[in-house]
Amino acid sequence: MTAIKHTLQREVFLPSEERLIAVVHVTKPGRKKKASFLCAAVTTEKPIQAHIYQVKKQDRGDTFKKKLSWSLRELKVLDAKDATKDTAEFELQFDKVYKWVASSIQEKLTFIQYLWKLCQRYLIQKPEFLNIPNGVLEEIGESLEGDHTGQEKTVLGASDSDWHALSEREEADIELLMSECEYAISNAEAFAEQLSKDLSVLDGANIHSIMGCEDQVLELMVLLDQGVQEAVRVEERLEEYDLKLKGVKDLMEFMKDKDTLIQVKTRNNQKLLQELDSLVNQLDLDHDHMKALLDGDLSSPRGIEQCSEAAMRLQHCTAAEIHPSLSRMAAVQEQRKRFTRLKATFAMRLAHHLNNLFIHQGNEMCETLSQYASELTLPRHAASQRDLLPYADLMAWLKMAEPESFEKLAKVYTSSLSRLYDREMKEFMESAKVKLTPSKLERKGSLLPSQRFTLGDSVSSLHKAFDSRKTGSTNALDASSHHGSDADLSGTAKLDQIFQHVLNELAPVCLAEQDFCVHFFQLAAEGSSQGESGAETATGAQKPSSAKQRQINTAVRKMMAELFPSLESELISLIEFLHKLDTFNSLYMLVRMSEHVINAEDTGSFLSKTFGNCLVQIKRNFDKFIQIQIQSVQESKLSKKSKVGIVPFVHSFEDFAQQAENIFRGSDRRNDLDKAYGKLISAIFEQIGRLAADSQKTPSDVVLFENYHHIFSLLSQLKISCLENQKKEAKQKYQEYMQNYVIASLGRPLEKLHMFIEGIESRVATGVKYEEISYQLAYSKQEIRKVIHEYPVKEVKKGLDSLYKKLDKHLCEEESLHQVVWHSMQDEFIKQYKHYETLIARCYPESGISLEFTITDLLGFFSDIAQSH
Amino acid sequence: MFSCLNLRRRLRGGRQGSSSASWDAMSKPKTQAPAVIHKVIMVGSGGVGKSALTLQFMYDEFVEDYEPTKADSYRKKVQLDAEEVQIDILDTAGQEDYAAIRDNYFRCGEGFLCVFSITEQESFQSTSEFREQILRVKNDENIPFLLVGNKMDLEERRQVTVEEAQARAQEWNVSYVETSAKTRANVDKVFYDLMREIRAQKVAAAKPDNDKKGKKKKSGRKCVIL
Repeated sequence: MTAIKHTLQREVFLPSEERLIAVVHVTKPGRKKKASFLCAAVTTEKPIQAHIYQVKKQDRGDTFKKKLSWSLRELKVLDAKDATKDTAEFELQFDKVYKWVASSIQEKLTFIQYLWKLCQRYLIQKPEFLNIPNGVLEEIGESLEGDHTGQEKTVLGASDSDWHALSEREEADIELLMSECEYAISNAEAFAEQLSKDLSVLDGANIHSIMGCEDQVLELMVLLDQGVQEAVRVEERLEEYDLKLKGVKDLMEFMKDKDTLIQVKTRNNQKLLQELDSLVNQLDLDHDHMKALLDGDLSSPRGIEQCSEAAMRLQHCTAAEIHPSLSRMAAVQEQRKRFTRLKATFAMRLAHHLNNLFIHQGNEMCETLSQYASELTLPRHAASQRDLLPYADLMAWLKMAEPESFEKLAKVYTSSLSRLYDREMKEFMESAKVKLTPSKLERKGSLLPSQRFTLGDSVSSLHKAFDSRKTGSTNALDASSHHGSDADLSGTAKLDQIFQHVLNELAPVCLAEQDFCVHFFQLAAEGSSQGESGAETATGAQKPSSAKQRQINTAVRKMMAELFPSLESELISLIEFLHKLDTFNSLYMLVRMSEHVINAEDTGSFLSKTFGNCLVQIKRNFDKFIQIQIQSVQESKLSKKSKVGIVPFVHSFEDFAQQAENIFRGSDRRNDLDKAYGKLISAIFEQIGRLAADSQKTPSDVVLFENYHHIFSLLSQLKISCLENQKKEAKQKYQEYMQNYVIASLGRPLEKLHMFIEGIESRVATGVKYEEISYQLAYSKQEIRKVIHEYPVKEVKKGLDSLYKKLDKHLCEEESLHQVVWHSMQDEFIKQYKHYETLIARCYPESGISLEFTITDLLGFFSDIAQSH
Repeated sequence: MFSCLNLRRRLRGGRQGSSSASWDAMSKPKTQAPAVIHKVIMVGSGGVGKSALTLQFMYDEFVEDYEPTKADSYRKKVQLDAEEVQIDILDTAGQEDYAAIRDNYFRCGEGFLCVFSITEQESFQSTSEFREQILRVKNDENIPFLLVGNKMDLEERRQVTVEEAQARAQEWNVSYVETSAKTRANVDKVFYDLMREIRAQKVAAAKPDNDKKGKKKKSGRKCVIL
C-alpha cells in the first residue's frame, strides 16, 4: 500500500502540486474487476484545498490517471454502512451517492480516519459521518479539538503557524469601523485614506502631550539631587562610628586572651595538687602498720590480724601505680626504699616465724604419733591446720612480695610434714598389717598349729601343705580346713573391713591436707589458666569439701605428692602384703578399691590418682591370682591309686565362683570377673581332657562325663550369664562322653558275638548282600551257631553282672550317675540285641538260628541285677 | 600351687562348710562319716513335667521347650529342718519300652515323687502301674511316696479332679499334692515333704526293734488342696 501511495504521489499528485494524504483501494460493488483508488489529497500551496480523487490505472502501461475529482467541501455524507458489522463497503455522497467496496476493512477505516481528519482541519461545515464504528473517530476528534481550542474555526494550514486569526473583539472593532463608513466595502481606497488621516491626527496629539511634561521633569531632578546629598551625610556619620568601635574591639580581644591564660594556670595548679595528694596517699604507710610490721606479735591472733592488715597495706603502697617521672622524685624513691626495707624485714621475720612453726608442729606431731598406733586411725591434722590458717593472708602477701622466701617456706612445710606423713603412713600401714595378722594368729591358736601358716613362713608352709595334700595324706588338713571355716569367714570379713577402713581413713586426711594446702599456699589462685574461680576456691576450701568447687591443678598435685611421698608405695606395699597373705584377697581389694575410685568425684586429685595407681596394681595382682589359679589347674595331678571322680580343681572352681559371686555382687568390676571366669573355665575344660587321658584306673570317658556333668550342674546353679555357652558345651560333652562310654562298654559282655556281627556289617558295607552272607566261609551257619552257642543264657547274665560291677567300680559316688549310665546301658543293650536279631533274621532266613536268650530273659536279668543289690 | 589350696580352704568358709562336707564325704566315703543323702526318684508318664519340677527345684528355672529325658541325676545341698542334707534326684524317662529297665533305679530310690499331669487322664491312670512296680521292686508298702498332680496352672484344661486323685492317694495311703513347675507353686513342698518322709523312714529303720508296720509315720496323710 505504501508503495502504491508513493507511486501515486509521484506520478499523479506531484505534477499538480498536491500532496496525497490517504488512499484506499476500491471497487464498485458488483464490478470486481475495475479496481481504482480513492485518494484524498491537499494542495501544497495556500489556500489549501482538499480534494478527493478517483484514480484509475490506465489499461495500457503502468500510468495512473485521475478519473473523477471532488472537492472535499462537496462531500455531504460519508456512510460506512455499518457500525457494528464488519464490512468493506462504504458510500460517499457528493452530488450523488457513490458506492465503494474497499479491499479490506482496515483500509476502509484508515481512509475514513484520514477523511475525518481532513474534514476536521479544513472544513467549517463538516460532512456527516454515518455508521462509523465506535472508537475510530473519537481519538482523532479529541486530538483535533485539543489543537484548535481558542482559535477561530477558519480554514487552517499545516504550515502557517505564524499567521494569527483576528480575535473576536478585533473582528468586532473592524466590523464597527467598517460599518461607520458605509462605503468602506465598496470604496477601499477612500477608506484607507480615511484611516491614515485619522492616524496622523492621533500622532500629532501624542507628541503634544509629551512636550507638556518637561517642567515636571525638572522638578523631579532637583528632588533627586537633594536626596543624594542627604545620603552622603549619613554615610560619613556611620564611618565615624565604625572607627570608634574598632578600637573597642581590639581591647576586648586582648582581655579575652589574658583571661584564658589565668584559667589554664589555675587548672594546672589544681592538677598538681591532686597528683601530690594521691602520691602522698599512696605512699603513706600508717605508723601503726609500720610498727606492726616491724615488731608485731606473730603468735597471737590479734597480732596476726594486724600484721596481715599492715602487710596488705604495704603491698598496696608498693604496688601503687605512680607515673614514671614522679618516681624520679627523691622523696618517692626514699619512701620506696623504706618500703622495700620494711618488706624484706617483715618477710624475713614472717618466714622465720612460720619456719619455726612448721618445724615445731612437725616435731610435736611426731612425738604424739605413737598414741595412734594402737587403734588403726590416721592422726588428724585439723588442729595444726587450724593454727596455721590465720597466716593464710600473710602467706598470700608473702607470695606476692617475696616469691623466693615463699617457695622456701613451702618447701620447709612440705619437707617437715612429708616426714611426718611418711611416718604416719608407715605406722598406719604397719598397724593395719598387724591388725590383719593377729586374725591369722588367733585362728592358728585354735587350729592345728603345725599345719597352719605363720606369717613369717606362710609361703613355704603353704607349699608344704599343698605338697602334703598332693601326696594324699589329706585327712588332717581337710579336717582342719573344715573346722577352720568359721574362723576363716570372720577372717575374710575382717580383712575386707580393715581394708575398707584403711581407704576410708586415708581419704579425709588427704582431702583435708589438700584443702589446707590449696588455701594456705594459694595454689588454686595461682594459675589464672586454671579458671577464675581461684578466689572462690580459697574461700570455699574451708567448707566441708564440696568436691566440684575444688579446682585441682598440677601444682596442688605436685605439692601433695611431695607431702605424701610414701602414700602410694605404702598402699601398694599393703596391697602386696595382703596379696601375699592370701592371693584371694585381691578379689576383695579389687572390688573395694574400684568403689573408691569410682565414687571419688574429683578425678584428677592426688588421692584419686594414687588410688587409681593402686587399683592398677590390684588389678595386676588379681590377674596374677587368676593366672596362678589357671596354672594350678594346669599343674594338677591325679592320684593313681583311687578312682578319679570329680577332679579337685572343679571343686576349687565351684568354691571360687561361689565366693567370687558374693564378693562381686553389684560391683562395677563384674567384667574382670567374667573374663577371669572365661579363662578359668577354658583352662579347666582343657585340663579335664588332659587328666582324663592320663587317668589309669578310670576310663577317660568316665572322668570326662562325670566332671562335665558336675560343671554343668554347677553352672546351672550359679547362673553366671557370661558362661552360658560353656554351660551348654559342658552338657553336650557330658552326654557325648557318656554315650561313648556306654557304647565302648557294651562291646564286652558279648564280645565274640559283637565281633562277628561287626564282621557281617563290614561285609555288607563292601557290597555283599544280606542273603549271601551265609555262603561266606567265615560267616556260615555253622560259624554263627558256634558263636551264639558261646553265649547261653547263663553266660549273658554273667556278662551283664560283671558289666554292672565294672560300672560300679568306675563311677564315683559323688555324681551318682550309676543309674543314669546303667539306664543308658540297658537301653543300648536292648537296642543291640534287637539289632543282632534282625540282622541274623535277614542273613540266615529260615534257618531257625536265633540268639540263645530272649528279650524277656534280658529284662529278667535286669530285674535280677536290680534286686541283687 | 598353694593358692589353689589356699582358695579352697578360704572358700569353704564362705559356703558355711557345706561344700567341704560334700567333698570330704564323697571322695573319702570310707574315712569320713557321709553326710545324709536322700535319694529321690521322679516317676510318671512322659511329658507330665518331671524334669520341669526338678529343674525348677534345682535351679529356679522353667524351661518351656519339651525334650524327652532319658535319665539324669542332680544333687544339691539343702537345709532340712535345721539339718543339712543332700538331695539326690534321679530324673527318669517317662517313655520306656520295657518297664523292667526301671527296676534298677527304683531299687536304689529311697523316696518317689509319682507325677502325673492334671490335664491328662491317661497320665493319672498310669500312676498305678508305677506304684505297682515300685512296690514290687522295693518290696515295701511304706516306701516314702508322694502323688503329685502337676500343671495346676492349667486349671482350664483339667481332666483329673482333685477328688479322684485324693481318693487314689487315700487308697495308697500317701499324700496328694498339686504343683506347678511353671509358677513354682508347691515345688519346694513336694521335695521337702518327701525328704521328711525319707528321714522318718531312715530313723525307723535304724531301730531294728521298731515295728516296721507301725504306721505312725503316715499320720500326715492329709491331702493338700491348693
